[in-house]
Amino acid sequence: MNAPNTSRMIELVHVNRSFKRADGQAVQAVEDVSVAIREGEFVCLVGPSGCGKTTVLQMVAGLLPPTSGEIAVAGHEIAGPGRDRGMVFQKDSVFPWKRVIDNVEYGLKCRDVPAAQRREIAQTYLERVGLAHVAKAWPRELSGGMLKRVAIATVFANGSQVLMLDEPFSALDYVTRHQLQSVLLDLWEEGGSTARRTVLFVTHDVDEALALADRILVFHSGRLIDDLAVTATRPRTTDSLLMPEMVAIKHKLLAHLGLEKPTAPLKVARS
Amino acid sequence: MSAIAHARRDRWISVAVFLSLAAVWQLLSVLYPAEAAPGEPMIAGWQVLFTNTFLSLADYWQGGLGVPSVAEGADRSYLAAFLSVLSHSLDTMGRLVIGLSVGGLVGLILGLAVSWARWTRRLFDWPLQFLRTLPLLAMVPLFQLWFGTYFIGEVMFVAYGIGVIVFAGTVNAVRNVPQIYIDNARSLGASRWTLYRTVILPAIFPAMRSTILLSLGAGWGAVLGAEYLGAQSGLGYIIVYAQQFAFLDRMFFIALLFILYTSISYWAISKLSARLLQWAPLSQRA
Repeated sequence: MNAPNTSRMIELVHVNRSFKRADGQAVQAVEDVSVAIREGEFVCLVGPSGCGKTTVLQMVAGLLPPTSGEIAVAGHEIAGPGRDRGMVFQKDSVFPWKRVIDNVEYGLKCRDVPAAQRREIAQTYLERVGLAHVAKAWPRELSGGMLKRVAIATVFANGSQVLMLDEPFSALDYVTRHQLQSVLLDLWEEGGSTARRTVLFVTHDVDEALALADRILVFHSGRLIDDLAVTATRPRTTDSLLMPEMVAIKHKLLAHLGLEKPTAPLKVARS
Repeated sequence: MSAIAHARRDRWISVAVFLSLAAVWQLLSVLYPAEAAPGEPMIAGWQVLFTNTFLSLADYWQGGLGVPSVAEGADRSYLAAFLSVLSHSLDTMGRLVIGLSVGGLVGLILGLAVSWARWTRRLFDWPLQFLRTLPLLAMVPLFQLWFGTYFIGEVMFVAYGIGVIVFAGTVNAVRNVPQIYIDNARSLGASRWTLYRTVILPAIFPAMRSTILLSLGAGWGAVLGAEYLGAQSGLGYIIVYAQQFAFLDRMFFIALLFILYTSISYWAISKLSARLLQWAPLSQRA
């Protein structure tokens, strides 16, 4: 990459976004958000519903222009969506009229990667998400969790530097959600620590954020109210989530979500 | 009961209904033997329809292929009657197919073009509603004066009738394409043109299928309407000609042919589109 300013892969400067509701009232969905995200960072955006986290994601994706402020990715101000920023949507976005493998190839085909090469890439990522056996199936024949795997394989195959996931696993059952979290982390870590992609992951699930993130951005009423580093080592296990610093972060998050009074966390008894 | 058994039972029900209707018609012909003119029953039974009536259609054979026409002094023959039905049917179908292709294609392209941007959609929204509510048959005389009563006029009329339906259907279908597919394609790097080709076109197909079937029905109506007024051949021409002489049995025979043709075309398009829609859930294919 020509702009090796790795400390600022994604940069938001005083970003605002307002909507006009159907009743004519203006709603400030995102208010004066400024943040810089490093290359290779796995960032979770957490907050109650309606806090503006999805709006931030859509603006970085280029699907929604900010009302004011600037958003730059890899040093360039963004203008509309682009393949440098892949997106996994909350709802099913897999094209039902294309077979699974053709879906995974879609982005590659858009920029004329030769057929044999793009098939190989698609095949590789389908294997990585454990769907090689349904490459020729129609999406209607797959379960919700499998469709999410297809969507993940599609954005990874497309080679985007930045990946955005908008509550991708919120509609899935407990087991599937955890399986897909580890699939996602495996793909994220595939190139070693130097070639990691930058990930923005929107979730309302505190435990999911703790399991995945290097850094958690907490939103409330359109504002960025907290920026927490998660330093626990990877791979994280169920035990990692019980470590004192993780418990402390969890308490902070729960307090931000209004589920706990913002008091000091319980003292951990030390022997 | 299995799905196959269901389908088989449904088919038998259809056959039974068909046979009952034919029997009712036969019964009516016996109960009501009045004649419009000597030898011209108001309700022709099947034994008349498939002998005298069919034979009389030889009158519309214009000669050629070594089979002389009645106008040239030949007797009516089954061969001439068959050729007559065949040639007039082909004339009608030719107008329909060309009108359908031209109208469908132009309607689709215009519909896609108008859907390109929000302001173009706004611009065409009102004229579109206006065209859609304008009765098709009211336009027949106008088209005759504009384009003449010959082939071009008839084809243009059919194309117009179908074009309006397909145009409206396309604009509507594009509007209903889920935004998420568009967003997904754009974030994967699709250009506007690629988006149209690979997302909009396939996504509107389930909705377009009912539009196409609808326009097919309108197309058969339009081609008949065009032929009523001034055509020198075709099934519509035979009906008009027969009406002038109160040949009710011939009119009925042609009407039956029409039912047969529309059913076959409907079935064929339905089957073909179902095959193209194998990706869609069953509810969008049935």
